[in-house]
Amino acid sequence: MRRVVILALLFGAMQLVLPLGGGGHGSQWLLTFGFLILAAYSVGELAVLVRLPKITGYLAAGVIFGPSLFNTVTVDAIGELRPVSSLAIGLIAYLAGAELRWEEVRKRGATIVKILTAEMVLGLVALSAVLWALGDRIPFLQGTAGSSRVAFAVLFGAVAIVHSPAVVMALLSETRAGGPIARTTLGVVLVSDVVVVILFSAMLAITRAVVPPTGANLEGVSLGMMLWELGGAVLVGALLGGAVALYLRFVKHELVLFAIVVAFFGLVIARLVHVETLLALLTAGFVTENLSRHEDGEAIRHAMERSAAPVFVVFFALAGAEMGLREVAGFWPLLIPIVAVRTAAIWGGTRAGVRWAGATPDTRRVWMGLVPQAGVAIGLAAAVAQAYPVRGSQMRTLFLAVVAINQVIGPILFRFALNRSNEIVSGAGEPAAARLTPLSTEEAIRE
Amino acid sequence: MSEGLILVLVVAASYLAARVAFEWLAWRFLIVSGAEYLLLGILLGPQLSGILSPDAVESFAPITSLGLGWMGALIGGQLVLPRMIRTAAVLYRVALVESLLTFAFTAALMAAGIYGTLDVAPRIAIVAGVGLGAVATVSATAGVAVVARQLGRRSPVVQQLEVASATNAVVGILVSGLLFAIVHPDPDAAVVGRPLTPTEWAVITIAVGVVGGALFHLFVGEERKVDRLFISLAGAVILVSGAATYLRVSPLLAAVCFGFVLVNTTRSRAQITIALERIERPLYFALLVLAGATWRPSVRDSVVLVLLFLLVRIAAKIGAARLAARWNGMLPALGPHWGRGLLGQGGLALAVALSYLYREDVPLANLVFTAAVASVLLTDVLSARFVRSLVYVDVHQVIAGAEQPRATKSPVPVGPVPPNIVQPDAPSSADA
Repeated sequence: MRRVVILALLFGAMQLVLPLGGGGHGSQWLLTFGFLILAAYSVGELAVLVRLPKITGYLAAGVIFGPSLFNTVTVDAIGELRPVSSLAIGLIAYLAGAELRWEEVRKRGATIVKILTAEMVLGLVALSAVLWALGDRIPFLQGTAGSSRVAFAVLFGAVAIVHSPAVVMALLSETRAGGPIARTTLGVVLVSDVVVVILFSAMLAITRAVVPPTGANLEGVSLGMMLWELGGAVLVGALLGGAVALYLRFVKHELVLFAIVVAFFGLVIARLVHVETLLALLTAGFVTENLSRHEDGEAIRHAMERSAAPVFVVFFALAGAEMGLREVAGFWPLLIPIVAVRTAAIWGGTRAGVRWAGATPDTRRVWMGLVPQAGVAIGLAAAVAQAYPVRGSQMRTLFLAVVAINQVIGPILFRFALNRSNEIVSGAGEPAAARLTPLSTEEAIRE
Repeated sequence: MSEGLILVLVVAASYLAARVAFEWLAWRFLIVSGAEYLLLGILLGPQLSGILSPDAVESFAPITSLGLGWMGALIGGQLVLPRMIRTAAVLYRVALVESLLTFAFTAALMAAGIYGTLDVAPRIAIVAGVGLGAVATVSATAGVAVVARQLGRRSPVVQQLEVASATNAVVGILVSGLLFAIVHPDPDAAVVGRPLTPTEWAVITIAVGVVGGALFHLFVGEERKVDRLFISLAGAVILVSGAATYLRVSPLLAAVCFGFVLVNTTRSRAQITIALERIERPLYFALLVLAGATWRPSVRDSVVLVLLFLLVRIAAKIGAARLAARWNGMLPALGPHWGRGLLGQGGLALAVALSYLYREDVPLANLVFTAAVASVLLTDVLSARFVRSLVYVDVHQVIAGAEQPRATKSPVPVGPVPPNIVQPDAPSSADA
C-alpha cells in the first residue's frame, strides 16, 4: 500500500511541477531521471510482492508513465535520457564479461559448449525461419525482400536467443541451489552471453553491409571493417581490461568513480575507433576478472554494480517507456508463435545437447533456466534501434514484448526445474515478498 | 575530439592530479584545496585551451546541477538537531551575527561599487550586490576540518570556526535561494492564472526539498541497507535537484531542506550519511572542473570590482567576526583576529556562484562568478594555514598549560576535502 501511495504522490508532484517550469540547463533531463528512479523502483518492489521479477516492474513503470499512458515521461525527455541507455548498455556488457570465470568455463566446458551449440543453432535457425515465414506481417520486414529480409530475420534471431544470467544468478542466490542443473545452467548462460554478443556483432555488421542504415557511408562497409569491428573490439577490450587490472593492483582507490569512468571510457573509445561496443566492454570485463586477484575483481564488480544501480533502473524503465502499447497490441498475434518457437527450440536444442554431451538425464531440465531474458537482451535490442532508427525501433518493440513474456514465465520455470531436481536448499527460497528487505544491491541490479 | 572522451580524460586527469601531486602538497605544506580542479577546468575550458567547447560545457550542465544538489543534501544532512542542540548557544549567536554582518556589509558596498562603476540601474546593482554578498558569506570548511583533525577540538577557536563555517553555509545558501525567489522570471500565466509572488516561489523552493525529504522517508521506511538506501537517495536527490533547476529556483536551498528533513526524520541517519558520501568526492571534483570550464572573463566585469570584492570580503569577515565576538562577550576567548579562519573559500562558494550563473536571467552573473573564482583561487589553498595560525595563538595564549600541539609532525595525511560543513565529534548513541 505504501508503494502505491508513493507512486500517487510522485505522480501528483510531477503534475504540479511540470506546468510551472520554464526549463533551464538540462533540467528536464534531471527531473525525469530522478522521477524514473523512484517510480520504477517502487513498481519493481510491487512486482516482487506478486512474485514477478523486479525488471518486469521497471518495464511496467516505463509503460505506465511513458508516452503510451500518462505521458509523465515525454518523448523529448526520453530523447534527453538516451546517454543513460548507452551507459547502461556498457555497464551491462562489462558486468556480463566479469561474471565469466575461466575456471568455471574449463570445468564444465565440454558439456556447456555442446548444450549451447545445439540450443543456439536450433534457436537461431528456428527463430529466423519463423520471422522470415511471417514476412510482411512483421513491420520491420515490410518492404524488404531477399537478402535484406533474411538479414533482418537472422538479426532478430541473434537477439532473441539471448538468455539472462541476471535472472539465473538471482534465483540461484535466492534458492542457494548448487547441483548439476544450477551449475550447468549458470555456465551456459554466462558463456552464451559472450557467444551471443560475438554472433550479434557479426550479424549486425553483415546486416549493415547488406542494408546500410540511412545516412551510412557505403564506401566504409567492407569485410575488413567487419573483421576490425570484432577483432578491434577484442583488442580494445583486452587493453582496457588489462589497464583496469593494473589499476586495481597498484592503485585501487575511488572505485565507484573509476567504474563509471571505465564504462564511459570503453563506450567512447569503441565509438571513436569504430569497434563493437558491447564486445569491447564484455572483453574488458572478462579480462579484468581473470587477470585480477579475486578480491580485486570482486571489488570493481561491486563498485560498478553500486554505481550502476540507478542507471539500470532507469534503463529498463526507459525501455518500457519506449515500448509503444499500441504497437505491442498490434504485435500480439505475432508474439505467440515467436515465444512458442523460441521455447520449443530451447527445449529441443538442450535435449539434443545433453544427449550429445552424455550428461546426466536430470540436466535436460536446464532448458527451463534458459527461457528468461533481461539486461543484455534489451541492450542488444537497443543497439539495433541505434543502428536502424525506424526498423530497429520496431524490432525493439516486438522484442521487448517477447522479453516481457519470457521475463514472467522464465523465473517460474527455472524455479520449478530446481525444485523438481531437489536442488533447492532446505529453508532457502522463502517467498519473494519475505526477501524484500534483505535483498542486496547485486540482486537488485541483476533482477 | 569527442566531448565524452574529454570529460573522461578531465575526470581521470583531475583524479590523478589529486592523488599524486596535491595530496603530497597538502601533507607537506598544509595546502588544502579544491582550487587545483578549478584551475584545471579553466585550463581546459573555452577561455584558454578550448579543449572543452562552450557547447560541451553546456551539455554537462545536468551533472553540474546534480553536483549542486548533492552538495546541498550533504550540507542539510549535517544539520542534525539532536547534535546541534548540544552546542553552546553563544557559538551560534556569534556565528549568526558574523554571517549576517558579512553579508550585509559586502552586499551594500558591492552594490554601491557596481552602481558607481558600471552604468546600470539600481535594481541590477542591488541584485548583483546581494549575489556577491551571498558568495562572500560562505567560508571554506576544509582548513578548519584539517586543523581540527590534527589538533582536536579542545580549542574554543576551532569549535567556533566549525559552527561559524556551518552557519555561513546555511546563510549564504538561504540568501541566494531567497534572491532567486525574488527575481524569479514570471511563469506561464496560463497555468496558475497569474504570476507567482516571490513568497510563493520561496515556499515552492523549500517545499521541493521538504516534499522530497518526506517522500524519501516514505520510500525507504525502516530500510537500513546502504546499497538500497543509495538507490533511493540518488533518485530523491536527482529528483529534488532536477525539480529545483526546472522551476528555476535554487537547487542548493531545496537540497539543503531535503537533507535536513531526511536526517531529522529517519532512524537510519548513519547509513544515509554513508550513502550520501559514497559519490560525494567524484561529484565535487566534477563540479569544480566544470565550474572552471564555465568561467568566462568579461571586459565589462571589470577587474576593479573583483579586486574590490576581495578586499571588501576580507575586511567584512575580520571586522564582522570581531564585532560578533565582542557583542557576545567572546572576544577574550576567541581573540580579535579569529575571523581570519573564515577567509578561505572553496567549493561551496563556487556552488553558490554557479547556481547564480546558471539562472541566466539574473544580472551580472559573470561578475559574481568571476569574483567567486578569484576568491577561491586566492584563498582556498591557504585556508588551513589561516586556521592553524589562529589555533597556535589560541593554544599558547588562552589554554595556558595545555599540551603543545603536534601539528608540524602530524602523521594525518591531508588532501582536498569536500565541503563537509560540520565535523562533529563521534556520534553518540542518540545519533545512531
